[in-house]
Amino acid sequence: MTSPMLELTGVKKSFGGNHVIPGLDLTLKAHEVTALIGPNGAGKTTIFNLITGFLKPDEGTVVYKGQGLTGLTPENVFRKGMVRTFQEVRVFGGITVLENVLVGREHGFGSWRKTKENKQAAMETLALVGLDGKAHTEARDLSYAEQKFLSLARVLGSDAELLLLDEPTSGLDGRSLDVVTGLIPRLKEMNRTVLIIEHNLDVVRSIAERIVFLESGRVIATGTGDELFARQDLADIYFGGGTVQ
Amino acid sequence: MLDFLINLFIIASIFAIVASSLNLLIGFTGVFSIAHAIFYGVGGYAAALTSLHLGTSLLLALLIAMVASALFSVLLALPAARVTGEYFVVVSLAFALVAFTVFSQWTPVTGGPAGLVGIQRVTLLGIPLDSNEAYLGLAVVMLVLVTLVLYVIIRRTPLGRSLQALRDDPLAAQALGKNPFRLRLTAVLISAALASTGGVIYAGYVFFINADSFSVDYGVLFMAMVILGGAGTLSGPIIGAFFITLFPEALEFADLPSELKGPLEQIIYGAALVILMLVRPSGIAGMFSGLLPKNRRKGGPPDAPEGQPAAGGPVTGAATATGGVA
Repeated sequence: MTSPMLELTGVKKSFGGNHVIPGLDLTLKAHEVTALIGPNGAGKTTIFNLITGFLKPDEGTVVYKGQGLTGLTPENVFRKGMVRTFQEVRVFGGITVLENVLVGREHGFGSWRKTKENKQAAMETLALVGLDGKAHTEARDLSYAEQKFLSLARVLGSDAELLLLDEPTSGLDGRSLDVVTGLIPRLKEMNRTVLIIEHNLDVVRSIAERIVFLESGRVIATGTGDELFARQDLADIYFGGGTVQ
Repeated sequence: MLDFLINLFIIASIFAIVASSLNLLIGFTGVFSIAHAIFYGVGGYAAALTSLHLGTSLLLALLIAMVASALFSVLLALPAARVTGEYFVVVSLAFALVAFTVFSQWTPVTGGPAGLVGIQRVTLLGIPLDSNEAYLGLAVVMLVLVTLVLYVIIRRTPLGRSLQALRDDPLAAQALGKNPFRLRLTAVLISAALASTGGVIYAGYVFFINADSFSVDYGVLFMAMVILGGAGTLSGPIIGAFFITLFPEALEFADLPSELKGPLEQIIYGAALVILMLVRPSGIAGMFSGLLPKNRRKGGPPDAPEGQPAAGGPVTGAATATGGVA
């Protein structure tokens, strides 16, 4: 199960002369949890935007399971089997928790006929993050942590194979952090591949099988947690002189 | 007096039909259209022409009006569904102005400034609805039907969920596979078709129509009804339509000095609207949200919990390009 699932080749992006991504090659293996780490401004979220169609690369290609994604709109990228979260929670506040998950499952004119099955599957997904008891609550009435869980449940419920998670643990601590860190390693069993942006290095170490270290839009190191966390040069870049524990 | 009240309630019900239809856009899709008087007008003209040339069948008039209005709305939706917010308002305003000119100048079809006269009272399955009481019943039944259709779309279908997702967060909706253009286009078509039914009821009631009943002023008024009553609630636009129709009439009974009666009524009316919006920005329907457990409040991005960054609204252009670069 090591066939490349996603391949970025020679991807470049600049904004008004600022080369945010000066040239990026990145490969994701199926059913692996890969973490993108790097200091602020390294271009991590820009890479998510480039993969998911929210931005178009100036140059280079993005290939997902052998199909080119370059130039596709975000909704068409989704239809290829990939879904993302955002740094902000971005729940649909005016509809219920259950409806939030349904939105990611229901596509096309025929979907109304499968409402019962979709609701059942959505409830099972909500149970994974402990929100099944609040299925009929409006999403805006959830706490911040619950909204983070919901944005995770929404992508899990979508049946997409590749999940791009942008800081799923930011703002979480204690038990709410455990919910997310406990769930992500289990996604492999659910046939999912995960690319995660994460600032909490303890989280990265515990859940990522492979880590890609970025600086100024370039991959400067790739490896397992043990390999990368031992390197003082990376710690210097990440913390500006500190040490990675 | 009774006739006066029946007349008022018929007009208020007709306005409530149009406002409720518009609410599908404003309250549930996040699109602000000022052009709904036009679709109301297409319904009116379609009913008048049906009555003059094809007979008095209500169902036939409704069918023709809804199809004509949905087709006509494509002219608004094609350029406008690509944009949201204030841009949609401007495009819809331009559309309303052009369409109003067509209404008032296309003499062979609309009768031009003189309008169309000689409209017959409609019949339902052959039964005439001659009395005003029967017609009030028809207007109310039509309002209930439109509200039911909206309820089913909004609360029971994947389309309704997708529209509200798009309203609450267009970027997140796109990331979950929603095509904003297609969804807005669908919402405009349905909304225009439903609004036209109000025009059908109107034409059959007043026996005469011309473009003045479908001007931009009415477009603004319908928008005010939705917002004042409570956008994003099913009852809000109905409450707003009845309030805006009945309140000025109620002022007639206030003991105001006769020489200042007209201007004072206008001032009180305007002040009441301003105060309501200040006190209840989510609309009159929002006043009851605490009383009804299942009531849904006005749409919009979720409030950020204390101490956390706000869940941002739609981010566009350069902000998307660089926003949130980690």
